[in-house]
Amino acid sequence: MTDAITGLAMLIAVPLLIGLLLGIDRRLTARMQNRVGPPLLQPFYDLWKLFGKERRAVNQAQVSFAAASVLLQFTAFAVFATGGDLLVAFFVSGAGNLALALGAFSSRSAYGQLGGQRELLQVLAYEPVLFLVIFILGWQNGSFLSDAFGENLLYLLPLALIAMVPVVLITMQKSPFDIATAHQEIVSGVYVEYSGTYLGLLKLGHWFELAFVFGIITLFFSADDIVISLLGKSLIVLVFVFLAVLIDNSTARTTRGDMVFKTLAFGLGLTIINLVLLWIDVSGAIW
Amino acid sequence: MREDAATRSPWILHFDTGSCNGCDLEVWALLTPRYDVERFGMVNKANPKHADILLITGPVTKKSEQRLINLYNQTPDPKLVIACGDCASNGVPFLDCYNVCMGVDKVIPVDLYVPGCSCRPEAIMDAVVKGIGMWKKKVEEADR
Repeated sequence: MTDAITGLAMLIAVPLLIGLLLGIDRRLTARMQNRVGPPLLQPFYDLWKLFGKERRAVNQAQVSFAAASVLLQFTAFAVFATGGDLLVAFFVSGAGNLALALGAFSSRSAYGQLGGQRELLQVLAYEPVLFLVIFILGWQNGSFLSDAFGENLLYLLPLALIAMVPVVLITMQKSPFDIATAHQEIVSGVYVEYSGTYLGLLKLGHWFELAFVFGIITLFFSADDIVISLLGKSLIVLVFVFLAVLIDNSTARTTRGDMVFKTLAFGLGLTIINLVLLWIDVSGAIW
Repeated sequence: MREDAATRSPWILHFDTGSCNGCDLEVWALLTPRYDVERFGMVNKANPKHADILLITGPVTKKSEQRLINLYNQTPDPKLVIACGDCASNGVPFLDCYNVCMGVDKVIPVDLYVPGCSCRPEAIMDAVVKGIGMWKKKVEEADR
Protein backbone atom coordinates (compact mmCIF):
# COMPACT_ATOMS: atom_id res chain seq x y z
CA MET A 1 0.00 0.00 0.00
CA THR A 2 2.74 2.46 0.92
CA ASP A 3 4.47 1.54 -2.34
CA ALA A 4 1.35 2.51 -4.27
CA ILE A 5 1.20 5.85 -2.44
CA THR A 6 4.91 6.54 -3.07
CA GLY A 7 4.45 5.66 -6.74
CA LEU A 8 1.43 7.95 -7.03
CA ALA A 9 3.28 10.77 -5.27
CA MET A 10 6.20 10.34 -7.66
CA LEU A 11 3.85 10.35 -10.68
CA ILE A 12 2.62 13.80 -9.67
CA ALA A 13 5.72 15.32 -8.07
CA VAL A 14 8.43 14.36 -10.56
CA PRO A 15 6.92 16.06 -13.67
CA LEU A 16 6.47 19.21 -11.54
CA LEU A 17 10.13 18.98 -10.49
CA ILE A 18 11.13 18.55 -14.15
CA GLY A 19 9.23 21.78 -14.96
CA LEU A 20 11.15 23.51 -12.18
CA LEU A 21 14.42 22.02 -13.48
CA LEU A 22 13.70 23.45 -16.96
CA GLY A 23 13.06 26.82 -15.28
CA ILE A 24 16.45 26.58 -13.55
CA ASP A 25 17.96 25.60 -16.91
CA ARG A 26 16.55 28.71 -18.65
CA ARG A 27 17.63 31.02 -15.84
CA LEU A 28 21.10 29.51 -15.73
CA THR A 29 21.39 29.92 -19.51
CA ALA A 30 20.37 33.57 -19.20
CA ARG A 31 22.89 34.21 -16.41
CA MET A 32 25.66 32.64 -18.51
CA GLN A 33 24.74 35.06 -21.31
CA ASN A 34 24.78 38.02 -18.87
CA ARG A 35 20.99 38.37 -18.97
CA VAL A 36 18.43 38.34 -16.15
CA GLY A 37 16.30 35.59 -17.65
CA PRO A 38 12.68 34.52 -17.20
CA PRO A 39 10.96 33.67 -13.88
CA LEU A 40 11.69 30.25 -12.41
CA LEU A 41 8.14 29.07 -13.19
CA GLN A 42 8.35 30.09 -16.88
CA PRO A 43 7.96 26.51 -18.29
CA PHE A 44 4.66 26.20 -16.39
CA TYR A 45 3.43 29.54 -17.76
CA ASP A 46 4.36 28.42 -21.29
CA LEU A 47 2.51 25.13 -20.93
CA TRP A 48 -0.50 26.81 -19.33
CA LYS A 49 -0.71 29.32 -22.17
CA LEU A 50 -0.36 26.66 -24.88
CA PHE A 51 -3.26 24.66 -23.43
CA GLY A 52 -5.43 27.79 -23.53
CA LYS A 53 -4.75 28.56 -27.18
CA GLU A 54 -6.97 27.76 -30.13
CA ARG A 55 -7.05 24.08 -31.12
CA ARG A 56 -5.88 23.86 -34.68
CA ALA A 57 -4.18 20.99 -36.50
CA VAL A 58 -2.89 20.45 -40.02
CA ASN A 59 -4.50 16.99 -40.19
CA GLN A 60 -6.09 14.34 -37.99
CA ALA A 61 -3.05 12.03 -38.03
CA GLN A 62 -0.95 14.77 -36.44
CA VAL A 63 -3.29 14.93 -33.44
CA SER A 64 -3.23 11.14 -33.00
CA PHE A 65 0.55 11.05 -33.09
CA ALA A 66 0.81 13.90 -30.56
CA ALA A 67 -1.56 12.04 -28.23
CA ALA A 68 0.34 8.77 -28.80
CA SER A 69 3.64 10.47 -28.04
CA VAL A 70 2.51 11.98 -24.75
CA LEU A 71 0.70 8.78 -23.65
CA LEU A 72 3.71 6.56 -24.44
CA GLN A 73 6.15 8.89 -22.67
CA PHE A 74 3.81 9.04 -19.69
CA THR A 75 3.52 5.24 -19.65
CA ALA A 76 7.31 4.89 -19.79
CA PHE A 77 7.70 7.25 -16.86
CA ALA A 78 4.82 5.60 -14.95
CA VAL A 79 6.41 2.15 -15.37
CA PHE A 80 9.65 3.60 -13.98
CA ALA A 81 8.00 5.52 -11.12
CA THR A 82 5.90 2.60 -9.90
CA GLY A 83 8.91 0.31 -9.66
CA GLY A 84 8.50 -1.47 -12.98
CA ASP A 85 10.99 -2.94 -15.41
CA LEU A 86 13.56 -0.45 -16.76
CA LEU A 87 13.75 -2.22 -20.12
CA VAL A 88 9.97 -1.96 -20.63
CA ALA A 89 10.11 1.75 -19.78
CA PHE A 90 13.04 2.18 -22.19
CA PHE A 91 11.26 0.60 -25.14
CA VAL A 92 7.97 2.40 -24.47
CA SER A 93 9.84 5.73 -24.31
CA GLY A 94 11.51 4.84 -27.63
CA ALA A 95 8.06 4.21 -29.14
CA GLY A 96 7.07 7.67 -27.90
CA ASN A 97 9.97 9.20 -29.81
CA LEU A 98 8.90 7.26 -32.90
CA ALA A 99 5.37 8.71 -32.56
CA LEU A 100 6.91 12.19 -32.39
CA ALA A 101 8.84 11.56 -35.62
CA LEU A 102 5.73 10.10 -37.33
CA GLY A 103 3.76 13.19 -36.30
CA ALA A 104 6.41 15.33 -37.99
CA PHE A 105 6.25 13.12 -41.12
CA SER A 106 2.44 13.38 -41.29
CA SER A 107 2.58 16.95 -42.58
CA ARG A 108 4.00 17.95 -45.95
CA SER A 109 6.19 20.70 -44.52
CA ALA A 110 9.82 20.32 -45.60
CA TYR A 111 10.96 21.45 -42.15
CA GLY A 112 8.71 18.87 -40.51
CA GLN A 113 10.10 16.11 -42.74
CA LEU A 114 13.69 17.13 -41.98
CA GLY A 115 12.89 17.36 -38.28
CA GLY A 116 11.35 13.88 -38.29
CA GLN A 117 14.37 12.34 -40.02
CA ARG A 118 16.71 14.08 -37.61
CA GLU A 119 14.62 12.90 -34.65
CA LEU A 120 15.09 9.31 -35.87
CA LEU A 121 18.83 9.93 -36.17
CA GLN A 122 18.89 11.21 -32.58
CA VAL A 123 17.14 8.05 -31.47
CA LEU A 124 19.77 6.06 -33.38
CA ALA A 125 22.50 8.01 -31.59
CA TYR A 126 21.42 7.92 -27.95
CA GLU A 127 19.26 4.79 -27.56
CA PRO A 128 22.12 2.24 -27.88
CA VAL A 129 24.04 4.16 -25.20
CA LEU A 130 21.02 4.42 -22.90
CA PHE A 131 20.24 0.74 -23.49
CA LEU A 132 23.76 -0.34 -22.57
CA VAL A 133 23.74 1.90 -19.48
CA ILE A 134 20.44 0.36 -18.36
CA PHE A 135 21.85 -3.09 -19.12
CA ILE A 136 24.99 -2.53 -17.04
CA LEU A 137 22.90 -1.02 -14.21
CA GLY A 138 20.58 -4.02 -14.19
CA TRP A 139 23.42 -6.50 -14.51
CA GLN A 140 25.28 -4.98 -11.57
CA ASN A 141 22.13 -4.67 -9.49
CA GLY A 142 20.85 -8.14 -10.27
CA SER A 143 17.41 -6.88 -11.28
CA PHE A 144 15.92 -4.52 -13.84
CA LEU A 145 13.05 -3.52 -11.55
CA SER A 146 13.46 0.15 -10.65
CA ASP A 147 12.34 -0.35 -7.02
CA ALA A 148 14.99 -3.06 -6.52
CA PHE A 149 17.79 -0.47 -6.65
CA GLY A 150 18.97 0.09 -3.08
CA GLU A 151 22.71 -0.14 -3.50
CA ASN A 152 25.21 2.60 -4.26
CA LEU A 153 26.52 1.88 -7.77
CA LEU A 154 28.35 5.16 -8.31
CA TYR A 155 31.81 3.83 -7.41
CA LEU A 156 31.31 0.72 -9.55
CA LEU A 157 29.95 2.45 -12.65
CA PRO A 158 31.50 5.95 -12.83
CA LEU A 159 32.24 5.71 -16.57
CA ALA A 160 28.68 4.60 -17.37
CA LEU A 161 27.41 7.73 -15.58
CA ILE A 162 29.72 9.95 -17.65
CA ALA A 163 28.44 8.17 -20.77
CA MET A 164 24.99 9.60 -19.92
CA VAL A 165 26.16 13.17 -20.64
CA PRO A 166 25.52 13.06 -24.44
CA VAL A 167 22.24 11.21 -23.79
CA VAL A 168 21.08 14.04 -21.51
CA LEU A 169 22.26 16.63 -24.05
CA ILE A 170 20.18 15.00 -26.79
CA THR A 171 17.05 14.50 -24.68
CA MET A 172 17.25 18.05 -23.28
CA GLN A 173 17.57 19.33 -26.88
CA LYS A 174 20.80 21.13 -26.11
CA SER A 175 23.62 22.26 -28.38
CA PRO A 176 25.72 20.67 -29.95
CA PHE A 177 23.12 17.89 -30.33
CA ASP A 178 19.86 19.88 -30.76
CA ILE A 179 19.65 18.95 -34.42
CA ALA A 180 15.99 17.75 -34.57
CA THR A 181 14.68 20.96 -33.01
CA ALA A 182 17.29 23.27 -34.55
CA HIS A 183 15.62 26.65 -34.21
CA GLN A 184 17.75 28.68 -36.62
CA GLU A 185 18.03 25.99 -39.31
CA ILE A 186 14.69 24.22 -39.54
CA VAL A 187 12.46 26.37 -37.26
CA SER A 188 12.13 23.86 -34.40
CA GLY A 189 11.89 20.86 -36.76
CA VAL A 190 9.57 18.21 -35.34
CA TYR A 191 7.40 20.83 -33.62
CA VAL A 192 7.07 23.14 -36.63
CA GLU A 193 3.56 22.14 -37.77
CA TYR A 194 2.08 21.89 -34.28
CA SER A 195 0.34 24.78 -32.60
CA GLY A 196 -1.56 25.64 -29.42
CA THR A 197 -2.87 22.75 -27.35
CA TYR A 198 -1.19 20.03 -29.41
CA LEU A 199 2.19 21.73 -29.09
CA GLY A 200 1.51 21.82 -25.34
CA LEU A 201 0.84 18.07 -25.39
CA LEU A 202 4.21 17.42 -27.08
CA LYS A 203 5.98 19.66 -24.56
CA LEU A 204 4.36 17.69 -21.74
CA GLY A 205 5.50 14.47 -23.41
CA HIS A 206 9.03 15.87 -23.45
CA TRP A 207 8.78 16.52 -19.69
CA PHE A 208 7.86 12.86 -19.12
CA GLU A 209 10.73 11.72 -21.34
CA LEU A 210 13.14 13.86 -19.32
CA ALA A 211 11.64 12.48 -16.10
CA PHE A 212 12.48 8.95 -17.28
CA VAL A 213 16.04 9.81 -18.40
CA PHE A 214 16.83 11.73 -15.21
CA GLY A 215 15.24 8.85 -13.31
CA ILE A 216 17.85 6.49 -14.80
CA ILE A 217 20.61 8.85 -13.63
CA THR A 218 19.28 8.89 -10.07
CA LEU A 219 19.57 5.07 -9.91
CA PHE A 220 23.37 5.38 -9.78
CA PHE A 221 23.36 6.72 -6.25
CA SER A 222 21.67 5.31 -3.20
CA ALA A 223 22.27 5.40 0.54
CA ASP A 224 20.73 3.77 3.59
CA ASP A 225 19.58 7.09 4.99
CA ILE A 226 16.64 8.31 2.88
CA VAL A 227 17.63 11.98 3.29
CA ILE A 228 21.22 11.45 2.13
CA SER A 229 19.92 9.25 -0.68
CA LEU A 230 17.54 11.94 -1.95
CA LEU A 231 20.17 14.68 -1.55
CA GLY A 232 22.73 12.66 -3.51
CA LYS A 233 20.24 11.88 -6.28
CA SER A 234 19.23 15.56 -6.57
CA LEU A 235 22.88 16.61 -6.60
CA ILE A 236 23.67 14.27 -9.51
CA VAL A 237 20.68 15.63 -11.48
CA LEU A 238 21.65 19.25 -10.79
CA VAL A 239 25.26 18.59 -11.83
CA PHE A 240 23.99 17.08 -15.08
CA VAL A 241 21.73 20.08 -15.76
CA PHE A 242 24.61 22.47 -15.05
CA LEU A 243 26.89 20.51 -17.39
CA ALA A 244 24.21 20.50 -20.11
CA VAL A 245 23.74 24.27 -19.86
CA LEU A 246 27.51 24.86 -19.84
CA ILE A 247 28.05 22.69 -22.93
CA ASP A 248 24.99 24.25 -24.60
CA ASN A 249 26.41 27.74 -24.17
CA SER A 250 29.97 26.94 -25.19
CA THR A 251 29.50 24.82 -28.32
CA ALA A 252 27.95 25.28 -31.76
CA ARG A 253 25.49 22.81 -33.28
CA THR A 254 27.22 19.90 -34.95
CA THR A 255 26.19 17.96 -38.06
CA ARG A 256 23.91 14.92 -37.79
CA GLY A 257 26.56 12.38 -38.82
CA ASP A 258 28.99 13.87 -36.36
CA MET A 259 26.38 13.62 -33.60
CA VAL A 260 25.72 9.91 -34.26
CA PHE A 261 29.44 9.12 -34.42
CA LYS A 262 30.46 11.12 -31.34
CA THR A 263 27.58 9.96 -29.15
CA LEU A 264 28.05 6.31 -30.05
CA ALA A 265 31.85 6.38 -29.81
CA PHE A 266 31.91 8.31 -26.51
CA GLY A 267 28.89 6.67 -24.87
CA LEU A 268 29.36 3.06 -25.98
CA GLY A 269 33.15 3.34 -25.54
CA LEU A 270 32.98 4.47 -21.92
CA THR A 271 30.24 2.01 -20.98
CA ILE A 272 32.09 -0.93 -22.56
CA ILE A 273 35.35 0.05 -20.80
CA ASN A 274 33.39 0.15 -17.55
CA LEU A 275 31.91 -3.26 -18.31
CA VAL A 276 35.31 -4.77 -19.14
CA LEU A 277 36.88 -3.35 -15.97
CA LEU A 278 34.07 -4.92 -13.93
CA TRP A 279 34.61 -8.27 -15.65
CA ILE A 280 38.37 -8.24 -15.05
CA ASP A 281 37.87 -7.18 -11.47
CA VAL A 282 35.16 -9.57 -10.30
CA SER A 283 37.07 -10.15 -7.05
CA GLY A 284 37.05 -6.42 -6.23
CA ALA A 285 40.83 -5.85 -6.21
CA ILE A 286 40.77 -2.44 -7.98
CA TRP A 287 37.54 -0.99 -6.60
CA MET B 1 -5.37 33.12 -12.61
CA ARG B 2 -5.35 31.46 -16.02
CA GLU B 3 -5.13 34.82 -17.77
CA ASP B 4 -2.25 35.87 -15.51
CA ALA B 5 -0.25 32.74 -16.28
CA ALA B 6 -1.08 32.85 -19.98
CA THR B 7 0.04 36.44 -20.44
CA ARG B 8 3.40 35.73 -18.84
CA SER B 9 4.47 33.80 -21.88
CA PRO B 10 4.06 35.88 -25.06
CA TRP B 11 5.94 34.29 -27.95
CA ILE B 12 6.99 36.53 -30.79
CA LEU B 13 6.91 36.30 -34.55
CA HIS B 14 8.87 39.02 -36.31
CA PHE B 15 8.09 39.60 -39.99
CA ASP B 16 9.78 42.07 -42.32
CA THR B 17 7.36 43.27 -45.03
CA GLY B 18 9.95 45.27 -46.96
CA SER B 19 11.51 47.34 -44.21
CA CYS B 20 14.92 49.02 -44.61
CA ASN B 21 16.13 46.77 -41.71
CA GLY B 22 16.34 49.74 -39.34
CA CYS B 23 13.33 48.63 -37.28
CA ASP B 24 14.35 44.97 -37.64
CA LEU B 25 17.65 45.71 -35.95
CA GLU B 26 15.79 47.38 -33.09
CA VAL B 27 13.48 44.36 -32.76
CA TRP B 28 16.52 42.09 -32.55
CA ALA B 29 18.06 44.45 -29.99
CA LEU B 30 15.24 43.41 -27.63
CA LEU B 31 16.82 39.98 -27.28
CA THR B 32 20.25 41.30 -26.25
CA PRO B 33 21.42 41.33 -22.60
CA ARG B 34 20.76 45.09 -22.39
CA TYR B 35 17.00 44.83 -22.98
CA ASP B 36 16.48 41.08 -22.40
CA VAL B 37 12.75 40.65 -23.08
CA GLU B 38 12.94 37.05 -21.90
CA ARG B 39 12.38 38.63 -18.46
CA PHE B 40 8.72 38.86 -19.53
CA GLY B 41 8.78 35.29 -20.87
CA MET B 42 9.06 36.52 -24.45
CA VAL B 43 10.86 34.23 -26.87
CA ASN B 44 11.41 34.76 -30.58
CA LYS B 45 9.81 31.71 -32.19
CA ALA B 46 10.11 32.58 -35.92
CA ASN B 47 7.07 30.37 -36.51
CA PRO B 48 3.50 31.73 -36.87
CA LYS B 49 2.01 28.51 -35.47
CA HIS B 50 3.85 29.00 -32.16
CA ALA B 51 3.49 32.78 -31.97
CA ASP B 52 1.19 34.99 -29.88
CA ILE B 53 2.44 38.48 -30.74
CA LEU B 54 3.28 39.51 -34.30
CA LEU B 55 5.89 42.28 -34.54
CA ILE B 56 5.55 43.56 -38.12
CA THR B 57 7.99 46.01 -39.69
CA GLY B 58 7.96 47.67 -43.12
CA PRO B 59 5.30 49.33 -45.32
CA VAL B 60 3.94 45.98 -46.69
CA THR B 61 5.02 45.72 -50.31
CA LYS B 62 2.51 44.25 -52.76
CA LYS B 63 4.64 41.11 -52.97
CA SER B 64 4.57 40.51 -49.21
CA GLU B 65 0.85 41.30 -48.80
CA GLN B 66 -0.40 37.73 -49.28
CA ARG B 67 2.43 36.35 -47.14
CA LEU B 68 1.47 38.66 -44.29
CA ILE B 69 -2.16 37.52 -44.56
CA ASN B 70 -1.02 33.87 -44.53
CA LEU B 71 1.12 34.41 -41.43
CA TYR B 72 -1.74 36.20 -39.67
CA ASN B 73 -4.16 33.37 -40.49
CA GLN B 74 -1.69 30.70 -39.36
CA THR B 75 -1.30 32.26 -35.90
CA PRO B 76 -3.74 30.64 -33.47
CA ASP B 77 -6.08 32.88 -31.41
CA PRO B 78 -5.81 34.81 -29.10
CA LYS B 79 -3.16 36.87 -30.90
CA LEU B 80 -1.91 40.45 -31.04
CA VAL B 81 -0.44 42.48 -33.90
CA ILE B 82 2.05 45.31 -33.28
CA ALA B 83 3.11 47.54 -36.17
CA CYS B 84 6.71 48.62 -35.48
CA GLY B 85 7.93 51.90 -36.97
CA ASP B 86 6.52 54.65 -39.19
CA CYS B 87 6.42 52.50 -42.34
CA ALA B 88 4.40 49.77 -40.66
CA SER B 89 2.10 52.28 -38.93
CA ASN B 90 1.07 54.33 -41.98
CA GLY B 91 3.68 53.81 -44.69
CA VAL B 92 4.45 57.50 -44.77
CA PRO B 93 8.11 57.39 -45.88
CA PHE B 94 6.74 55.64 -48.99
CA LEU B 95 3.91 58.12 -49.63
CA ASP B 96 2.46 57.72 -53.16
CA CYS B 97 4.69 54.77 -54.02
CA TYR B 98 3.14 52.37 -56.54
CA ASN B 99 4.46 49.18 -54.90
CA VAL B 100 3.38 49.36 -51.25
CA CYS B 101 0.10 48.93 -49.34
CA MET B 102 0.89 51.89 -47.03
CA GLY B 103 0.86 50.26 -43.61
CA VAL B 104 0.09 46.95 -41.94
CA ASP B 105 -3.47 47.98 -40.97
CA LYS B 106 -4.49 48.11 -44.65
CA VAL B 107 -3.95 44.33 -44.79
CA ILE B 108 -4.57 42.83 -41.32
CA PRO B 109 -6.09 44.27 -38.10
CA VAL B 110 -3.46 46.02 -35.96
CA ASP B 111 -3.72 46.41 -32.17
CA LEU B 112 -0.81 48.76 -31.44
CA TYR B 113 1.33 51.18 -33.39
CA VAL B 114 4.93 52.04 -32.46
CA PRO B 115 6.10 55.40 -33.87
CA GLY B 116 9.67 56.25 -34.86
CA CYS B 117 12.01 55.92 -37.81
CA SER B 118 13.42 53.66 -36.70
CA CYS B 119 11.42 52.87 -33.57
CA ARG B 120 13.52 52.70 -30.41
CA PRO B 121 13.73 49.34 -28.58
CA GLU B 122 12.35 51.09 -25.47
CA ALA B 123 9.28 52.10 -27.48
CA ILE B 124 8.77 48.53 -28.72
CA MET B 125 9.07 47.21 -25.16
CA ASP B 126 6.55 49.83 -24.02
CA ALA B 127 4.17 48.66 -26.76
CA VAL B 128 4.63 45.01 -25.84
CA VAL B 129 3.97 45.67 -22.15
CA LYS B 130 0.81 47.60 -23.10
CA GLY B 131 0.01 44.80 -25.53
CA ILE B 132 0.18 42.20 -22.78
CA GLY B 133 -2.68 44.07 -21.04
CA MET B 134 -4.73 44.01 -24.26
CA TRP B 135 -3.86 40.38 -24.83
CA LYS B 136 -5.10 39.54 -21.33
CA LYS B 137 -8.50 40.98 -22.27
CA LYS B 138 -8.50 38.84 -25.42
CA VAL B 139 -7.72 35.70 -23.39
CA GLU B 140 -10.59 36.54 -21.02
CA GLU B 141 -12.95 37.04 -23.98
CA ALA B 142 -11.84 33.75 -25.52
CA ASP B 143 -12.65 32.00 -22.22
CA ARG B 144 -16.21 33.27 -22.20
